[in-house]
Amino acid sequence: MTQATPRQHGPLYFAWRRFAANKAAVVSGLVLMILVLMAIFASLITKTNYDEQKFLTDAYAMPSSTYWFGVDDLGRDFFSRIVYGSRISLTIGFSSALFSVLIGIPLGAAAGYYGGAVDWAVMRLIELFSVVPSLLAAMLLGALTGGGFFTIVLVAALFGWVQVCLLVRAQVKAVREKEFIRAAQALGASPGYIIWRHLIPNSVSPIIVGFVLAIPLAMMLEASLSFLGIGVPPPLPSWGQMINVGMNFMYFYWHLAVFPTAALAITVLAITLFGDGLRDALDPTLKGR
Amino acid sequence: MIRYVLKRAVSILLTFLTVSVIVFLMMHAVPGGPFDGNEMPVSKEVRDKLMASLGLDKPLYVQYFKYMWGVFHFDFGVPFQSPGETVLQLLARAWPPSLILGGLGVVIGATIGILLGIAAALRRNSWIDYVASTLATLGLTIPVFVISMMLILMFAVFLGWLPAKGWDKPNSWYLPIAAYAMIPMATYARYTRSAMLDVLNKPFVTVLRAKGLSERRIIFQHVLRNAALPMVAVFLPMFIGTATGSIFVEAMFRVPGLGAYFVSSITLRDYPLEMALILMITMMFCLAYLLTDIVYALLNPRIRFGGKS
Repeated sequence: MTQATPRQHGPLYFAWRRFAANKAAVVSGLVLMILVLMAIFASLITKTNYDEQKFLTDAYAMPSSTYWFGVDDLGRDFFSRIVYGSRISLTIGFSSALFSVLIGIPLGAAAGYYGGAVDWAVMRLIELFSVVPSLLAAMLLGALTGGGFFTIVLVAALFGWVQVCLLVRAQVKAVREKEFIRAAQALGASPGYIIWRHLIPNSVSPIIVGFVLAIPLAMMLEASLSFLGIGVPPPLPSWGQMINVGMNFMYFYWHLAVFPTAALAITVLAITLFGDGLRDALDPTLKGR
Repeated sequence: MIRYVLKRAVSILLTFLTVSVIVFLMMHAVPGGPFDGNEMPVSKEVRDKLMASLGLDKPLYVQYFKYMWGVFHFDFGVPFQSPGETVLQLLARAWPPSLILGGLGVVIGATIGILLGIAAALRRNSWIDYVASTLATLGLTIPVFVISMMLILMFAVFLGWLPAKGWDKPNSWYLPIAAYAMIPMATYARYTRSAMLDVLNKPFVTVLRAKGLSERRIIFQHVLRNAALPMVAVFLPMFIGTATGSIFVEAMFRVPGLGAYFVSSITLRDYPLEMALILMITMMFCLAYLLTDIVYALLNPRIRFGGKS
């Protein structure tokens, strides 16, 4: 044998190669991993729980070797609150993204596969959601349901599915015309079967991309609502709510505003860059807008 | 063209009416009424009288039709939280600060963004390209109140150059305008860069170069003009977006504008104001999309009306 046989690589290998070449995305992925670990093992790396007012005599203390991020106005260790805040932010981000995908996939697949009247109806629904300012609707829904953790997840999903739906619809529309779908139709497969067994598995890339890009949107909505005081109820630690409180003290105790601001900015940025990298790696044709 | 506009107008009217019904129902489904709060502790008889005088004791559909009848005659009712004026007078009073700051922010941000985008496209992979894309990512991912917070911390708290809040003095305008400008700047830097790169790769640019036109004329007269199309599309929606952005920016910088009323109309169950604000923004978005489509078609004859949707 004089010639080495070229090694075969699957599409995942090339996706990984494209992803690894994107430095910003790799770094963001690492940051995201650290954040997730922080959220999971929050109780191991913090001295107190998020609502323990153990340091009342040291309230407003500046960051030091004892209190890494200082102590807040109610005598709670601020580092603990920031770390536990990542739990709230990430949980809301991931679960809203999950619900967005659960709403977006069936609607997008149906619109893309059936076209015609179904497509028209779905597109009108999307139009409705694009002319109503999401924040105002979220505030109204928050008032209606009394706010709280689960409401925010639902509201974020209600406005997050549009993007997933559009991505899935475009993909399904393109795949529907392929021969193997014709073949399945000719064999008598029902539309439901074709969508479930052929079209959705072929839309995995846009679904993953839509999922990841829905996370920061939900986190920003949570932070915005909590900032306005109608999000996650205290004493649950939410970064948005901490920024709102920190604003009152920022001339004297800047740490109460700086740390939650930085935490929120870093997290949202990391997930967005990671999602962009994932999108470019999984499906280079989706790049840009 | 006219047929297309008419068709769109009908669809806009339908969207508008759907939104009005949903919002009206949701608004009234929120527990509590305008006179139940701690702000206005009144006896039951007084409350019933107040509710009757405002027509709030009537069935919902009667209230809805009465309100919408008014809306189509430009009468948005009287805000409960400020009964001395009509909703329109309140808007006329509170909107200008928001419009001025938001408008200046969008215009300045868009200008800087376009310049950054051009520079980034012309000097690809240079430092200016990296600066532009970093700014674009930051501006699009960081919530506006976090940006406001960063601006206040940097320029008002640590450097002490500018006041952190207020509206009266001109130098208190810089920071809110900067906060409003971030999203337009980021969006425009991104759009301009990718649109410019698209056009720069077209064969006609090579022809222009071969003809010996100066690079400046090629960029500003030909490339930019062809790249402008996607930039037109985002301008109006972005400008309207400053209305909801004002909720945060004005709260952070203590500007007496429209922003606070978005929140208070919901928390105080101020039904007329709440309806007016949401309907107004919905209508503005609808009209903005329609206007954008028309301008788009005028600038680009390749887009045919009535083809799809």
